[in-house]
Amino acid sequence: MQGAWRVGRRGLLRALLALAPWTVVRVRADDAADPTSMRPQIGDHLVFFDGPHEGKPVRVEDLELGGPQAQAFPADPKGLVRDESRFNLVIVARVGEDGLSEETRANSADGVVAYSGVCTHQGCPVNMWSAERKGFVCSCHGSIYDPKDDANVIFGPAPRRLAALPLKSENGLLIVAGPFNRRLGGEKG
Amino acid sequence: MRKLHISTSLAALMIAGALGTAYAADYSPVTDARLKNPEPQNWLMTRGNYQGWSYSALDQLNTTNVKGLTPVWSIATGVDSGHEAPPIVNNGVMFVATPYSQVMAMDAATGDFLWRYKRKLPEGFGALHNTSRGVALYGDKVFLPSLDAVLVALDAKTGKVAWEAKVEDWKTGYYMTMAPLVVKGKVLVGVAGGEFGVRGFVAAFDAETGKPAWKTYTVPAPGEPGSETWEKPDTWKTGGASTWMTGNYDADSNTVFWGTGNASPWFGDQRPGDNLYTSSTVALDGDTGKIKSHFQYHQNESWDWDEMNAPMLVDFQKDGKTTKGLLKPARNGYLYWLGRGDDGSISYLNSAAYVPQNVFKSIDPKTGRPDVDVAHKPATGKAAKFCPGLWGGKDWPYEAYNPKTGMIYIPSNENHCNTLEGKVEKRVLGQWWTGVAVPDLNFSVDTKAGFYGELQAYDVNTGKRAWRNLYANSMNWGSVLTTAGGLLFAGGTNDRMFRAYDATTGEELWHFRTNSGVMAPPSTYSVNGVQYVAVASGWGVDPAFQQSLMAELVGWNPDVPQGGVVWVFAVNK
Repeated sequence: MQGAWRVGRRGLLRALLALAPWTVVRVRADDAADPTSMRPQIGDHLVFFDGPHEGKPVRVEDLELGGPQAQAFPADPKGLVRDESRFNLVIVARVGEDGLSEETRANSADGVVAYSGVCTHQGCPVNMWSAERKGFVCSCHGSIYDPKDDANVIFGPAPRRLAALPLKSENGLLIVAGPFNRRLGGEKG
Repeated sequence: MRKLHISTSLAALMIAGALGTAYAADYSPVTDARLKNPEPQNWLMTRGNYQGWSYSALDQLNTTNVKGLTPVWSIATGVDSGHEAPPIVNNGVMFVATPYSQVMAMDAATGDFLWRYKRKLPEGFGALHNTSRGVALYGDKVFLPSLDAVLVALDAKTGKVAWEAKVEDWKTGYYMTMAPLVVKGKVLVGVAGGEFGVRGFVAAFDAETGKPAWKTYTVPAPGEPGSETWEKPDTWKTGGASTWMTGNYDADSNTVFWGTGNASPWFGDQRPGDNLYTSSTVALDGDTGKIKSHFQYHQNESWDWDEMNAPMLVDFQKDGKTTKGLLKPARNGYLYWLGRGDDGSISYLNSAAYVPQNVFKSIDPKTGRPDVDVAHKPATGKAAKFCPGLWGGKDWPYEAYNPKTGMIYIPSNENHCNTLEGKVEKRVLGQWWTGVAVPDLNFSVDTKAGFYGELQAYDVNTGKRAWRNLYANSMNWGSVLTTAGGLLFAGGTNDRMFRAYDATTGEELWHFRTNSGVMAPPSTYSVNGVQYVAVASGWGVDPAFQQSLMAELVGWNPDVPQGGVVWVFAVNK
């Protein structure tokens, strides 16, 4: 057993060394090669994923005051939509400027807030709206997030807040002002 | 410190490696003959046999000595969410599938950890039901339908991928959670996605190579038999009839019986017609997948009552004669006795409600077609309350049949309802598309009822209820295992209990409080003459969601702790 352990350790270290550079190169290659998978970049605008304005840039006046949210993907200034990764699904809602928490106010523009549209529970789209609780609802297990309080979980099994996507407004066009502020996606096995 | 950590991990890896080598030599390949007549000491498939009985002929554990059952080993799965897979055992090696498309292999007697397979799911992937209902075995391979709709074949000895076969594109809403069914060298799988507007199918792949063999849609295309039941053009394309539970198999007639799910979207007025083969059992040719016959439990589905569980193949007495039959406690709340023809045909014989149901006014005694009370049928712009609610008289957890007692055991729920009102919604690929949003499901319960979950036993010949156990403070989500030792094993309640009952009387004989809630089917096996009972404990998905609703309705604790552990019990000698 002892002998086998020594041989095994050398073999495994060799394997790890062989794997490590490949992993690093692979990650860089993915990032560089596919801008449609890149996370939202500062200066990106948002493009409606569904609804009456599908495919068009998201402007403040397109959003109904008081909710519900719209689903969108980021797009670079040339209009290339970053929709290859589901992690880029964004929900955007015009909740108004009243009652925003300090963090949410800082990330909002003209009363509009944006968050990751991927539930932190099992990764489902957070594309439903509770008129009763004025919150974003996950379409799988009903977790509800408070759009005015940095997506705090107010109901259901979601273990953490949605990542916020900071926005600014340029003449009503919503522009990404910073990266997602938290880890994306659901719990991992 | 860092060095120490690495050395320890290496040592662990080497131990696992050495054990792997030792057991690899004597792994016994799974053959057609073994699947047809599984040895009592093994648990080779999800339901234990092709008939779907969830029954074991082992009788070392019995109603007297079961009180001495104690844990002999356990292992953490390392993941949360709902654990719904039984431990599958082949000559001393146990395979357990977990949520997030993982498989663990252990020595079934000692618990030594042999290997783990973890699928790398696509970035941003999410599933409505992030679970697995188990692996299938054939030859020297283990088959896992992964959540992202890829069928993965693993080397049973090492856990290494032998082949992968894409079943569908997960981005369109298809995903897979059921355990495969292996029939004559082919691996049969079905798909989930009935809430996303998919078109269901059963597909078969060559077990050795992964090459696709056949694919049979459970919604007919225009011109195919049954297409006339989709009266509005194009509704068939998104019609549902998902196939998210494992089928059963009649080797004599070479017929696979597979269950289908709800129609899509949920409200029948949006897709006029009976909508074959939604909420049905389809009988498929075991070689070609061709549909031989079908039985539809309710037409123009509007209650989210999937009939995804295949019926059990049970021969019962009818009019003084032994009848080759099918037995199915349906999600719609009725227990069905169906005939099983030598040509694979299905005929209606009888049915009776096993929980109170307010939708069927009557059932045609010849055809089995229900006369539906439209006052309890939701539609677009018309709210209607129906009971049992969308989780049905029972959801997916398995009933069991014990040939020694002649009883069927049904894990059921009652005193719950839903009030739904449909909307016309535009479909977004891969997203919830039922016509009603999750916050508007309007789940309700009868708070004066005194119980919600129950475990019921019926005589399969007389249809009379023999006994039932009621749970005042829990629903029942526990698949049942029954044995020749006169026992039932089941969890399913929110108090984390795993229990043994007397199969004849329903008396609780033993219980053990596990780490989490038990939703997974138990299995039993024997190694070196010792009978073991195994089950994974790990609460999540629908029972967790339902628990959070019950917390608001009746004050139950919404927090049933999650995290999976496989428990193995035996009687100490």
